[in-house]
Amino acid sequence: MNKISIPIGPHHPLLKEPLSMNIEITGEKVLGGSLRLGYVHRGIEKMATQRTYVQDVHLIERICGICSHIHTTTFCNAVETLLGIEVPPRGLYIRALMCELERVHSHLLWLGILAKHVGLDTVFMHAWHDRELVLDIMEGISGGRVSHAANQIGGVRFDISDKQAEMINVNLVKLKQQVSGVLDVIENEPALQARTQGVAPVSAELIKDYCVVGPVARASGVDVDMRRDDPWSPYDKLDVKVITRPEGDAWARTLIRVLETRESLRLCKILVEDMPDGPVSVWASRKVPEGEVVTRSEAPRGEVVYYVRSDGSDKPARLKVRTPTLPVLSLLPVQLSAIHVADIPVVLAGIDLCVACADR
Amino acid sequence: MVNELNLETIIEKIQTETGCDCEAYPNITNDETILIPADQLQMVMAVLRDQFGIYHLSTITAQERDIEADQSAIELIYHFFYLNQPGDGRGISLMVRLPLDKPNIASIISHLPGADFYEREVAEMFGVSFTGREATPKLLLPDEWEHGPPFISSEVSDE
Repeated sequence: MNKISIPIGPHHPLLKEPLSMNIEITGEKVLGGSLRLGYVHRGIEKMATQRTYVQDVHLIERICGICSHIHTTTFCNAVETLLGIEVPPRGLYIRALMCELERVHSHLLWLGILAKHVGLDTVFMHAWHDRELVLDIMEGISGGRVSHAANQIGGVRFDISDKQAEMINVNLVKLKQQVSGVLDVIENEPALQARTQGVAPVSAELIKDYCVVGPVARASGVDVDMRRDDPWSPYDKLDVKVITRPEGDAWARTLIRVLETRESLRLCKILVEDMPDGPVSVWASRKVPEGEVVTRSEAPRGEVVYYVRSDGSDKPARLKVRTPTLPVLSLLPVQLSAIHVADIPVVLAGIDLCVACADR
Repeated sequence: MVNELNLETIIEKIQTETGCDCEAYPNITNDETILIPADQLQMVMAVLRDQFGIYHLSTITAQERDIEADQSAIELIYHFFYLNQPGDGRGISLMVRLPLDKPNIASIISHLPGADFYEREVAEMFGVSFTGREATPKLLLPDEWEHGPPFISSEVSDE
């Protein structure tokens, strides 16, 4: 049978962000593929060296439209380490609360996209309806549904009132019930299982070879999560339960994210209940002492790494950002080999693409 | 597999196994960093993987930097993350310095395929040539990009 190349992207109805793939098929079987990124490369690392640290917090928030808060958290952690300042405990708890809300929002958004791709429109509607509850909480806290501008160097920009805490608790209870319903569908819906179980399985060895991180790695049994393994405050005080599955297929990647959503809701409840009193921020110098630092954190898609070098001025001499999508994308050509054409959307959805993150 | 992991042990093991002239670079907070000669990178990586179980490459940071008063170099930092056991992870980095006029280094993708995108990004942005791998199309820059590497200061124009 003839070999055919199918170019997908950079502009394609299947893709929410621009990415170019060239997929080779013979009949219904996919032989492999190649990738081209860069269509939303904005040169953020270079731009950051031309702006002050204070301005960079706002620039870095624009790396990703979904996990914007974790990027500013990781950057602020790095700069605060160089400055030698300690964020007040209440500020740290609010930061972590926003991190976990962002994870819930990201996972529900992703679940809706996967459900849409496999034809389960009811799950798509429910997941995106439930996601509104998280967005309401984040809007109530910060005023922004997606870009929250919560972090500043030295802490966070706003406090949470008793009334807001009450609203958060009410929405968390609702979300917990809704997520239990979704979990029931994932575990028992035959149509979803037929479309995802056994699709594009990835072994733990391949995950390690390709340095893959986050839920994709954990769905193949690789037990790693920066919230537990390299915790930043206050995660060192939280007992984060890391969820893994041995299957490594599209179904495991689905189940992992729903279970992680439930775990994040549990952490949100603890963070709201145990939130200490006091200030939420401290003063921070605009000039940062000379030094270099690496900080890691766990975004909804996995390990985020920041390297910051300061030359003693108010602008970083070098900022390096490694987002979790990049290593996961490097595995995509391998995942695309030996699957059926109809499974391509399931595989693409399974890795939770964030092209803006990968391009920066 | 060596269970006891500290920087001195790692450096000692690297020196014993490879004869490589390496030293601790103490300036990076949070990551234990070892400065090694660029031509020893593959051998040192093999020691980290086989003797210590360090295999997860988080990323490669590249930067142009003054290493002495009148000498600049391109510095590559290979950031690894090592998980001893659940809840006990740490960053370990290898640093190499390449001459600005001829920044060549051996590719590591035959040992670690996950380094592919990291190497391609460094090649495009800093003009580093990774030897021992096939030429690949551009990953991030436009195909019609005619200027030099965007991160090299001498290549930056007003455009």
